[in-house]
Amino acid sequence: MKRPAQLLLSGAWQYVLLLLLGLAVLPHLFNIERGITLFFLALLLYRALAVSRPGLIPARLPLFLLTLGGVANVLLHYPILFGREAGVALLVSMLALKLVEMRVRRDVYILVFIGYFVLITQFLYNEAGWLVLYVAALVILLTALLVDSQRVKSRFNPLPSLATSGLMLLQAIPVTIALFLFFPRFNSPLWYLGSERSQAVTGISGEISPGSISGLSRSSEVAFRVDFGAATPPAAQRYWRGPVFWDTDGSSWSAARESADERGPPPVLTASETAEPLSYHVTMEPSSERWIYALELPLLTPPGARLTADFQLLRNSAPERRLRYRMRSLTDYHTGALTSHERERGLRLPDNITPRMVELVQSWRRSSRSDAELVLNALDHFRRQEFYYTLYPPLLGENPADQFLFESRRGFCEHYATSFTLLMRIAGIPTRLVGGYQGGEINPLGDYLIVRQSDAHAWVEIWLPESGWQRVDPTAAVAPERIERPLDPASIADVIGAPIRFIELDAGLFSDLLRRLRWGADALNASWHRWVLGYSRERQHYLMRLLGLGFLHGPKLGYAMIVITGLTVAAVALILLRRNRERPDPVLRHYRAFCRRLARLGIERVPSEGPKAFADRVIAQRPDLTASVAAISGLYIGIRYGRLDNAKNRARFTLLVRRFRP
Amino acid sequence: MTGSADRTADDSWLKRVRLPIRRLVCADSTGSARVGGRQIYILPTAYGLLYAVLLVLMLVGSINYANNLGFLLTFLLAGLGVVAMLHTWRNLVGVVLLSGQAADIFAGEPARFGIQLSNLRRWPRPGLQLAGGDDSDATDLAASEAQRLELSMPSRKRGRLRLPRITLSTRYPLGLFRAWSYVELPLHCLVYPAPAAASPTLVAPSYRQSRIGDRGVGADDFTGQRHYRPGDSPRHINWKALAREQGLLTKRFGGDRAERRWLDWSQLQGDQEQRLSQLCRAILDASGEEVEYGLKIPGTTIRPARGPAHRNRCLAQLALFGEVE
Repeated sequence: MKRPAQLLLSGAWQYVLLLLLGLAVLPHLFNIERGITLFFLALLLYRALAVSRPGLIPARLPLFLLTLGGVANVLLHYPILFGREAGVALLVSMLALKLVEMRVRRDVYILVFIGYFVLITQFLYNEAGWLVLYVAALVILLTALLVDSQRVKSRFNPLPSLATSGLMLLQAIPVTIALFLFFPRFNSPLWYLGSERSQAVTGISGEISPGSISGLSRSSEVAFRVDFGAATPPAAQRYWRGPVFWDTDGSSWSAARESADERGPPPVLTASETAEPLSYHVTMEPSSERWIYALELPLLTPPGARLTADFQLLRNSAPERRLRYRMRSLTDYHTGALTSHERERGLRLPDNITPRMVELVQSWRRSSRSDAELVLNALDHFRRQEFYYTLYPPLLGENPADQFLFESRRGFCEHYATSFTLLMRIAGIPTRLVGGYQGGEINPLGDYLIVRQSDAHAWVEIWLPESGWQRVDPTAAVAPERIERPLDPASIADVIGAPIRFIELDAGLFSDLLRRLRWGADALNASWHRWVLGYSRERQHYLMRLLGLGFLHGPKLGYAMIVITGLTVAAVALILLRRNRERPDPVLRHYRAFCRRLARLGIERVPSEGPKAFADRVIAQRPDLTASVAAISGLYIGIRYGRLDNAKNRARFTLLVRRFRP
Repeated sequence: MTGSADRTADDSWLKRVRLPIRRLVCADSTGSARVGGRQIYILPTAYGLLYAVLLVLMLVGSINYANNLGFLLTFLLAGLGVVAMLHTWRNLVGVVLLSGQAADIFAGEPARFGIQLSNLRRWPRPGLQLAGGDDSDATDLAASEAQRLELSMPSRKRGRLRLPRITLSTRYPLGLFRAWSYVELPLHCLVYPAPAAASPTLVAPSYRQSRIGDRGVGADDFTGQRHYRPGDSPRHINWKALAREQGLLTKRFGGDRAERRWLDWSQLQGDQEQRLSQLCRAILDASGEEVEYGLKIPGTTIRPARGPAHRNRCLAQLALFGEVE
């Protein structure tokens, strides 16, 4: 009995399994508690030592004790065994134990299956492009292990198996795409994962530092939906106001903590005469923070919330469930005078203001006659100088504002907003930083606006005596598209990623080519965001309408998925099986051609008739063909059944048949 | 999966069912059989089911965390499963089986059936397994390669032992599916009766005197002479005749024992099988002693002779005794 499953794993096999599964776990090592990581690494190392010393592989009892130890280790770190981290910890510990125990080839199945599962959990922590490639490579390698374990010969020769694995995964792609696009998406999770939500919910937090908002921009999670009823205001006016930041330590900004004077009633708004308030409904997703969002400036205070002096809508507690509230907002407003406390806070500077920042502001002051003109000069600076708007800004050190303004000049909205705030305060203009969302995607189906985490934004409010608190968005100066484009999470990707240059210094051929390449990469990135990372229920509806399948929703979509996947499988099967057709040996093919030509003369070969008998019959009927028929038949018999099979004879046979034109 | 679990419930009942001929891979007149598409059965293995459970878990996780990359990986693996099924099927379709040889045996010995598997395609077919009875044999076929596999079957009683319906199966490439076909090949061997432990005591052994000897090349009785041929033993040269200038002649001698041993059913005791067993032992003994022997069983008489062909003919008569031809 030679059964592949019972063969012992050779040393090479064991090393490969240890290596690949170690690589599958690798990105997790920092996601879970150190105790679990150590447990995994220790067992991996021990098993690697045991490859050349099989006596070290634990027997049943020590293995049982080791399993108990592993479970205890997980329980120690995750006492309630619930949620994402605990699941991953358990999975990684299980994998370690199975690795220690592996002996025979059938263990490969379980190990590879656990490996697949470990790989999918990686995406819960990180959705970066490199991780996708990393996981894809490991899926190919793990699958190749399965393929190789099915061979009878145990010789370790990974290349053919690797090729088969790659080919099969390529062939699986059409089915993958069909399932991915048509599998009905849900907006709410299947069950409520209690404690985990508070960690999982992302959103604007009470602190803004370089990178905190650009991190959010990669999330397509819905922050809130807005139903305007009547006309939706243009994108440039859709600033959804959230926390207000007054205080900074020079690198990060923290939201206003309540102080005595803020508890006072909100100041009276002085609206301009023609202003018409907007009415709308907001449906907000659960959030871990207490702010609720409204277009600036809010006129109503939803129940359970209050309006602070700086127009933040603060709930008494963070909304744990979906929240729906009616809201009215003024987009044209005047906030009136400034209190001395507000002026003092709005001008407070951190102690890491550098001389060149002061020098920059002074240069603007020199060239402007009023505060308003200075603000315009400052915006112009961002527009004129070589500033890039990018989702992936370089890391900034101790003094991010200075470094950003004078060195890196690459940043996302928070970089522009924070440094602009500092510059305005240096100029003596009371300024505060505002966090929130900007824009939102108008759902083509339902007539409402979706605001996602990727719409998170930061801007600045300055106080000028003639207009009160007034919004200034330095990001708009650098990347106006960010503001004007109706944002869906994917079209953000059109803007982010590639730096956007607004001053064309040179238009050489090379830089032009480079720019085109960047745009190409950016477009690719955008489609990836649009159709993969950001693929949602709304996007699925949109796609269906695009395909003329707008009637598909709910269970109908499920049926459509089954039908379309079935058709795809059939198509793949057809292609696979067409390739399966055996191409007969050329000698046989030529002999058949010879027989066909004779059949045209009325001499048909009976299936049971051997080549010799057939030749005899042909010669009896057509003595004039004796020479060629005898030569062809003789050579055919010699090649097929005798010892004449060589390249020269085959070539001669081909030639003879080609020339045979009775 | 162990050997017994291997032939799971999925096909044991099918094996007993009389399958329509189109569902069975049968040999043509030349003894070769090609696995056709309609003759392939395919079902997931236990690991295939485990894989399905894994996919469901992955899907639930992806839905719950609304993780699109999770969806993507889940669906990629689902697609991989489907493709694996097609590949498994394709690995089996078009395999050509050719009946090989099966040596005749004595009851109780295992019969060995040789079966040649050939791959006519220009890419390999790894992981092919033949199983029949309690035995199985597996191999990887390279592109355009043929290999001989052997299945051994236990034999319990004498007679004609046909190769039972055998199963050609594969789990390649991923082991998630098992594709199999039932094959019937016209391959059989004869099972001679198991030789009795002791030589039978024939009640009246018939040592009948030959009138002319056996014209063999024995050493006992002088039977005549002929012209010398190269290779004749110099000891048999008729030196006297040479001396009388009669030419080079070789003296010829008859068999050592110029009688025939008749192995006669009627002179044995016991029931039918015991008698056959004893006759089998007697045939083996006689052919071991290079005695000329003949066989008499009800309905058949084989004239005395010697040599392996004769021996096999006699044994075949014993093996098939009582069978309707």
